[in-house]
Amino acid sequence: MKTNNSDNYTKWQKSFERETKIDLNEASSETDEGIEIKPVYTKADIENLSFVDNDSLPGQLPYTRGPKASMYTNRPWTIRQYAGFSTAEESNDFYKKNLKSGQKGLSVAFDLPTHRGYDSDDDLVMGDVGKAGVAIDTVEDMKILFNDIPLDQMSVSMTMNGAVLPVLSSFIVAGEEQNVNKNLLSGTIQNDILKEFMVRNTYIYPPDPSMKIVADIIEFTSKEMPKFNSISISGYHMQEAGADNVLELAYTLADGMEYVRAALSKGLDIDDFAPRLSFFFAIGTDFFMEIAKLRAARTLWYKIMKDFGAKNEKSMILRTHCQTSGVSLTEKDPYNNIIRTSYEALSAILGGTQSLHTNSFDEAIALPTDESARIARNTQLILQNETGVTNTVDPLAGSYFIESLTDELSKKAWEIIEEIESLGGMTKAVKAGVPKLKIEESATKKQAKVDSGSRVVVGVNKFKNPKEPKVDVRVIDNNKVRDDQIKKINDIKASRDQKAVDESLAKLVNAAKEDSNLLACSIDAIKKRATVGEVSKALEQVYGRHFATSLSVSGVYGKHFEGDEDFMNVTKKVNIFEEENGRRPRVLVVKMGQDGHDRGAKIVATSFADMGFDVDMGPLFQSPKDVAKDAIENDVHAIGVSTLAAGHKTLVPELMKSLKEIDPKSKIIVFVGGVIPEQDYDFLYKNNISAIFGPGSNIIESAEKVIDLISDKIHKNN
Amino acid sequence: MQLVEKIIKGERAAIAKAITLVESSRENDKKESRKLISELLNKPGKSIRVGFSGPPGVGKSTFIESFGRYLVEKNYKLGILAIDPSSQITGGSILGDKTRMIEISKNPNTFIRSTPSRGSLGGISIGTREASIILDAAGYDFIFIETVGVGQSEIMATNLVDIFSLIVGPGSGDELQGIKKGITEYADIFIVNKNDGDLKSEASKTASDYKSAISYYKKSNDTADKEVLLVSAIEQTGMEKVIETIKNIVSQNKKNKNFDERRAKQFNYWIEEEVREIIQFNIQKKIKADGSISKFSQKVMDGKIQMFEAIEAITKNLQSK
Ligand code: B12
Ligand SMILES: Nc1nc2c(ncn2[C@@H]2O[C@H](COP(=O)(O)OP(=O)(O)OP(=O)(O)O)[C@@H](O)[C@H]2O)c(=O)[nH]1
Ligand SMILES: [Mg+2]
Repeated sequence: MKTNNSDNYTKWQKSFERETKIDLNEASSETDEGIEIKPVYTKADIENLSFVDNDSLPGQLPYTRGPKASMYTNRPWTIRQYAGFSTAEESNDFYKKNLKSGQKGLSVAFDLPTHRGYDSDDDLVMGDVGKAGVAIDTVEDMKILFNDIPLDQMSVSMTMNGAVLPVLSSFIVAGEEQNVNKNLLSGTIQNDILKEFMVRNTYIYPPDPSMKIVADIIEFTSKEMPKFNSISISGYHMQEAGADNVLELAYTLADGMEYVRAALSKGLDIDDFAPRLSFFFAIGTDFFMEIAKLRAARTLWYKIMKDFGAKNEKSMILRTHCQTSGVSLTEKDPYNNIIRTSYEALSAILGGTQSLHTNSFDEAIALPTDESARIARNTQLILQNETGVTNTVDPLAGSYFIESLTDELSKKAWEIIEEIESLGGMTKAVKAGVPKLKIEESATKKQAKVDSGSRVVVGVNKFKNPKEPKVDVRVIDNNKVRDDQIKKINDIKASRDQKAVDESLAKLVNAAKEDSNLLACSIDAIKKRATVGEVSKALEQVYGRHFATSLSVSGVYGKHFEGDEDFMNVTKKVNIFEEENGRRPRVLVVKMGQDGHDRGAKIVATSFADMGFDVDMGPLFQSPKDVAKDAIENDVHAIGVSTLAAGHKTLVPELMKSLKEIDPKSKIIVFVGGVIPEQDYDFLYKNNISAIFGPGSNIIESAEKVIDLISDKIHKNN
Repeated sequence: MQLVEKIIKGERAAIAKAITLVESSRENDKKESRKLISELLNKPGKSIRVGFSGPPGVGKSTFIESFGRYLVEKNYKLGILAIDPSSQITGGSILGDKTRMIEISKNPNTFIRSTPSRGSLGGISIGTREASIILDAAGYDFIFIETVGVGQSEIMATNLVDIFSLIVGPGSGDELQGIKKGITEYADIFIVNKNDGDLKSEASKTASDYKSAISYYKKSNDTADKEVLLVSAIEQTGMEKVIETIKNIVSQNKKNKNFDERRAKQFNYWIEEEVREIIQFNIQKKIKADGSISKFSQKVMDGKIQMFEAIEAITKNLQSK
């Protein structure tokens, strides 16, 4: 720590200590990142910084102050709201309305079957079609999605990683059939597979072939699509999965380095593709930290790219999209979320983002309604038009605190980056599962802080609203969407030239075997009306489908509660239970369908185990039938279904049925956790669900309820 | 007993409940469990019990998934008992084996049960032997038992299974020096896993290390040869050789009566263990009820009698009851 020896400072310190009655040395707080935050910063804190150059200006290296000289004074950031649901028809309608109301760019959210490379008619995706994004099965759907939206004028971002080949192909062909050549298409494809293995969970193939696909796309777009960002290297999902800002920053940049290497291995020149690499970060509630993070990211990327030997200035400039944090938003007292999102948005702007998504206040309940989406959009419109934040570039530059924090964050992240590099890079690290585990550890710590009350979340663990408001939710009838999609698929299959499809798919398989560029072949297959699922399956023949093995943290939650009364109360109950029943309460925690949100399930599992439960952890993507078999064979007392992607109304009844099919007398109790709109509670209770634990549930209280429910059930049976 | 019939019919829920019973620490359950097992022993199946042991992370679960997939495709019925080592300070545990046995756990011809080891001896949990008797009666062709803990492998090998295999990773040959004796003695099969990608040459080297290590082992004519096999669980290679080896060892050992002798020994040991447990339990009860230990120890403390006198007196007292 840098010290200030000026007289002024000594005087201030005295006053401070007199006012607070606290020794200055003890007055600092510590962030999740382990960074010390002092009560005051002075000039001494920004002397001799390691990464930050105090004399640099916006648009000048190391680009700490922004990628461009003029920034928002010339053009404000792009308001780019992430959206998609139900069918292409409905999403297209929604997009057009939003564009009319001031949104500037599009950002497509696909449904989970599309992400995972399954067509809507696949049995494995029964509960997921159109639920958490828009269903795209063929190029015809893609054309409908952009109906009346000229693709040579609209920049389109697509969050697609697993099924990136067929989906990007569909976009290109949709453009072509709109008479827009691919060299005019502008926008971004996420195409960031490493973070899928870490946190987002919509991978399809194993890591190595997946990395090849990423490189193929960078290669193809660098040659054929000069206005298109070939990748969006994303830390967003890491923070949402629980990573602190240092982890998010370090892993994202380390991922970036891996993609650069993958592209270089194709024989590309670094300056041919690097200008089209883009980034994506989350903006959480730690206001100043988030500003510093964006500034640190640009500073570090400059260094990284210079070390790679980039010559073109554009190769060294980090451009980023940001999204406010969904996980900071609460189901309880949901209007508070408008306020949270506003602060986060301001943070992103002060950090100098190029585009921004602001979340809707119903984030923890369901996909946004037209109304909640309007408020979210207006949050940015108000910032742009009413607050004056666009008039000055990087207004916080020179702030002792911000500059010192930027440097501190850079240093911490750089240490982790070097560590990963010394272990052979991110692909290796990801295969070993270490980053995922580190993020889960961080997530578990955060949960413990909220559950113990040492971190306040207004409306959740303090200042609760005695009268929770009722909010409208967007309801999607997945069965209807599925039927509609199946009909469209069948029509296309009946009218297409099957022989041409078969040939194009065979060519694709060959290309995979011969290791040549896959995007060109995939475009051809899509043009011939092969489906997204067919293209994905063809490659699956060569590469296989990836199944993740999952590690678990242990002891992290429990450690936070050493000596805590409520915690001990549950462990005591568990011990008594064991004495009475000859074994511990045993709970199977599961994820069903294509829902890959595993943060909650993993945290609950490790916390329950810390309280003495035996917890069976199911893999991702189980069918209700698999879960029933697993539960019965292990004779668990209870199944805890963690469901966040809105498949519950299909999958939970299916599970109840499957249990009875295997064991008509099954006494296993079933409870549900995750994102469940209150409107669905009755439905679930009618299906014999014993309890529902929504977002923000305190895990210790949940565990107590679960053990009580299990005990009750046993007593009733005796 | 209705439960027995249901088990023999192969009813999944009944098998599961029975395993819970034999794992239970409740006294009542223990009695029921003994009754159940006695009945099931009268209705033996045809299972071959194979143990898979090895250090953490060598790929035991992945191997069982991969080998299991191979076997169920050939219509074998497979029972799997996975003893999970992840016991925690508070006694709870996360049982994550299923995340590594995704495909076979869906198959109707498998039954997979995870059990927390609770730090018990040799990585074997209470009830593993009984559970395998239940699965045997239920008609499973193979029963696989997965444990960690190379150190105590002989406990599993001598007490529980017909064939004991040790799974090792590439590069583990170096450690062989130290552990050679125990392992070469007890393992029937050495499986060198991860024979794929960059690890291939290392895996071959490890295999030859093991081969030379077992060549020192005195080979008597009537026992089946020990085998060293190379596999990749991830690429599913080498599986046919594993099943072939298992079958060979079984048929050879059956021919020369080794198979039955091993099982007889295991029974012998089991009975001894049970007798010991019952006696111990009874004695403990007596000690509790009697309460003379604390009285005598006070006397020793006060210097009224000598310690060995006290011990003799207490023992006499307890035996006479
Ligand atoms: C974090 C997050 C992500 C992360 C997930 C990281 C991960 N590995 O888990 C990322 C960024 C990757 C992500 C991606 C997507 N997400 Co998201 N995500 C969220 C978010 C913001 C928070 C979820 C969370 O982790 N909360 C923290 C944990 C600890 O809380 P929890 O899971 O709710 O668990 C608590 C309780 O519910 C309960 N509980 C939960 N499970 C269980 C189980 C048991 C046994 C018990 C006792 C209790 C219990 O106890 C826990 C502790 O309090 C939610 C919105 C929100 N605020 O809830 C959206 C949300 C779930 N996501 C959504 C969507 C649509 C997606 C995408 C499908 C978007 C797309 N089209 O591409 C993708 C795809 C992801 C996938 N593979 O499935 C939607 C789902 C819509 C719906 N339900 O109608 C939501 C609701 C946001 C929204 N309103 O649009 N997401
Ligand atoms: N390269 C390679 N890796 C493998 C192979 N088999 C397993 N692995 C990897 O090794 C790691 C551990 O595999 P597991 O099957 O969980 O190992 P385990 O021995 O059951 O581990 P514990 O039950 O924790 O003791 C995983 O990351 C697997 O992907 C293989 O054949 N080749
Ligand atoms: Mg294992």
